[in-house]
Amino acid sequence: MSTTKEQQAVGPQPHVAELGTTSAPLKSAAFFIGAYCKEFNEDFMLCKAESRDPAHCLKEGRRVTRCATDLITKMRENCLEQFESHWACLEQNNHQYYRCRTVERPLNTCMFEKLGLVKTIPGTPEGRKQIHEIENPVLKRQQK
Amino acid sequence: MPVPWEALIPSALLVTMFGVTGTLANITFRAQNQWKPPRYHLERWDEMMIARDNRLTGHNRGQTSDPVIPSRAASS
Repeated sequence: MSTTKEQQAVGPQPHVAELGTTSAPLKSAAFFIGAYCKEFNEDFMLCKAESRDPAHCLKEGRRVTRCATDLITKMRENCLEQFESHWACLEQNNHQYYRCRTVERPLNTCMFEKLGLVKTIPGTPEGRKQIHEIENPVLKRQQK
Repeated sequence: MPVPWEALIPSALLVTMFGVTGTLANITFRAQNQWKPPRYHLERWDEMMIARDNRLTGHNRGQTSDPVIPSRAASS
């Protein structure tokens, strides 16, 4: 396979396999990836803020991919059943979190016990309970 | 035929036909989405993720939580 001009410009790069997880499991794991990979994600976003050129942030991008792959592997080892049921519920419900709270709670407790990761939504106003922790939310699904 | 319930016969026919239409429509939508409800209110982000799912699994609604990428989709 011949190299493109851009590939020749950056030189040979270490190979990191892309993450093979599809959209529903990623959405289910999203806040845990945010908690686990915070430093790498922030590094990558700051790097992108400097320059949108793809060649500029290859190293930070590799780190993000490795961290996310690591977390998904750990999630599957420790909390497979809750993880699978949560993203199956999301698949049935247009990937909307508020419709899958009953299945999300066991996943959050399992992740906290086994891996110590807590789902926090950044930007929640001070003093307000996290939306996923409210027992009887006003906006909820039609059926119980 | 002059019976008290004669108007209910075409009403029942209408209800049945609407029901059949709705059921067949539901079946066609679900059949294209691997027997799951279709996605709606899709943004550009969602469309890009669905295209990525297609590259990874071969179908727009195919899902897998396996972090190992199959070789045919090795460049996402």
